[in-house]
Order: sequence, then C-alpha cells, then structure tokens
Amino acid sequence: MTATVRLVPVQAAYDDLLKRSLSKISCDLARLIYLASTRDYNTGSYHHDGLAARFRPEIAGKALEIAHRQIFYQLSACSLEELIEQLQTYLDCSHESAADILRIWQKLEPYRVAIPVEVNPAVARLFLSNIRLALAIWRFRQEQAQKNP
Amino acid sequence: MIGIPTAVLLGSALFLLLLLLATRGSAAAREISSRLDVPLLDDEAGLDPCPREFVARIFAPDDWEFVRGTKSRELQKLFRRERRLVALVWVHQTSTAIRRIMREHTEITRRSHDLRFTTETKLVLLYGELMVICGMLFLAIQSAGPQRVRGLAVYADALSQRLAQAQHDFKTVAARPELHGAGSA
Repeated sequence: MTATVRLVPVQAAYDDLLKRSLSKISCDLARLIYLASTRDYNTGSYHHDGLAARFRPEIAGKALEIAHRQIFYQLSACSLEELIEQLQTYLDCSHESAADILRIWQKLEPYRVAIPVEVNPAVARLFLSNIRLALAIWRFRQEQAQKNP
Repeated sequence: MIGIPTAVLLGSALFLLLLLLATRGSAAAREISSRLDVPLLDDEAGLDPCPREFVARIFAPDDWEFVRGTKSRELQKLFRRERRLVALVWVHQTSTAIRRIMREHTEITRRSHDLRFTTETKLVLLYGELMVICGMLFLAIQSAGPQRVRGLAVYADALSQRLAQAQHDFKTVAARPELHGAGSA
C-alpha cells in the first residue's frame, strides 16, 4: 500500500517529464546530456524547478534519476552505427560548430559526467568506449569527405 | 596412452593453471582500470548486475564488422583495444560476483545444520567450472579478441546467473528454520 502510494506520484512525474521536456529533445544522446545536467555535481541529487513545482522536489528528483538511468541503458545498448547516428543528430541540432564540439569532446571527454550513479561498471565502460569510438569514426568520415569532396 | 594417475595429475595441474589465470585476469583488469575511466568495484553487491543483452553487445561481431567497413587500420586498432578492455572488465566483474556468491554461501553453510552433499558438490563444481571459463575467457580475449568468444561469454553469463539463483534458493531455505524459530519465540 505504502509502496503504491509512493510509486504513483513518481510515475506521474516521470510521465510529465517525458511529455513536457524529453519528447521535445531531438535524440537520446541529447536527452542524456540534459538529464545529467539536472544532477548536482556535489550531492548527486537531481533538480528540476518546473517538475518540483508540479510534484514535490524529492518526487521530481526520483523521476529524473529513473529517466536518466533508462536513457543511459538505452544508449549503451545501441550499436556503434546507431550511436553515430545519435551523435550526428546531436551535432546537427546544436547551435555550435560540429568541429568544435568534436574537438572538445575528444579532448575533455565531458560525456563522462553523463553516467548515472550506481550503474553496472561494465555497461559504463561500454558506454564510454562506444562514445570514444563513435567520435573517432565521425572524425574519420569528416576527414575522408574533405579529402574526396 | 597415459595412466589414470598421470591423467588426474595433468587434469589437476590444468585446473590450477586456469584458476591462476582467472586470478591473474582479474588483477590485470584491475590494473587496466586504474589507468582508465570507470573504477572496478570489488564489492559490487549493491550495484546492478550486468543485463544479459549487454553481454551479447560487448562480445557481438556486428560492431567489429562496421568498423572493419571503414578500412581504417587506426580505427580497427582502436576498436580492438577498446572492446578488449570492456570485455576484460566484464570478466573481472563476473569472477568477482562469483567469488562473492561463494563467500556468502560458505558463511551460510557454516551455520547450517541441514547440508546436502549433492547440492554442495553441484555448487562447488559449478563454481569451479565458472572460474575455469573466466580464466579461458581472459586468455582468449587477450589473444583472439572478444568477438571470437561470444558463445563462451554468453554461456558463462548464464552459468553465473544459475549459480546466483542456486545460492539465493539455498539462502531462502536456510533462513526458514530461523524464521520459524523467531516466530515461535
């Protein structure tokens, strides 16, 4: 009974998050980055003002955490080919230059902070490795396109 | 032809060698991990187990085929290196989980008064088989690459889940008299 009472608002907050925020984001990679950005670097807790106003802050935090884990596992299960498509969509929708994003991503690896807490270490490693490979392949393709226009 | 004692001796030596390899494999994976990103945790009790579809993904040949299609040697080299590390992390994680399960089992059997020889033998054999497979996987991943050992990895994953289930069932049965005792107290 208590568990049901607790789960229902989280489910409602999760559905609300999907409907109002996540559905408007172009791809899973962008959704992952967005969800990771709602997490506090120091405490690891999630914050979203709109969601917290509609539900309680702890319910909103839990919904964000669940969505983050779900998108992370979804992306980690992608093949390299699918991940490159995700990366392409992410770069196409970004207002910054694709070459700049690529350079920074390869140099600083900011996508590392997009990993949720307490996910399986092998899956986390697979995700990082796949992003690294996707970036290298994307760059290779760009170089090939410049060589053979 | 070799005699039975020689065969037993050779078999035992091979078994010990593979156990040693499994241990070395874990140590190597930990060393690799210390140089790279996500830490390996020895006590992964509180973490999510590796979902089955990811085991298939780590060892799947389709990503390799995709990278090979680029015809870039550098990319192929990078892929082999990256995927080998991920596979080693998985082997380390699996062998750590197996050891943790057996430690937990040993603790329970020490307190239990209702041990069954056949169940215990089956569990020990399953544990031995898994450790040997982990040793073989460690060797094969290093030498041939993860894509060639997909079947063995999927088999090891299924076995480790069987071991975890058997231990879970044993724990439930072992806890029953305590519950009855608590109820009657």
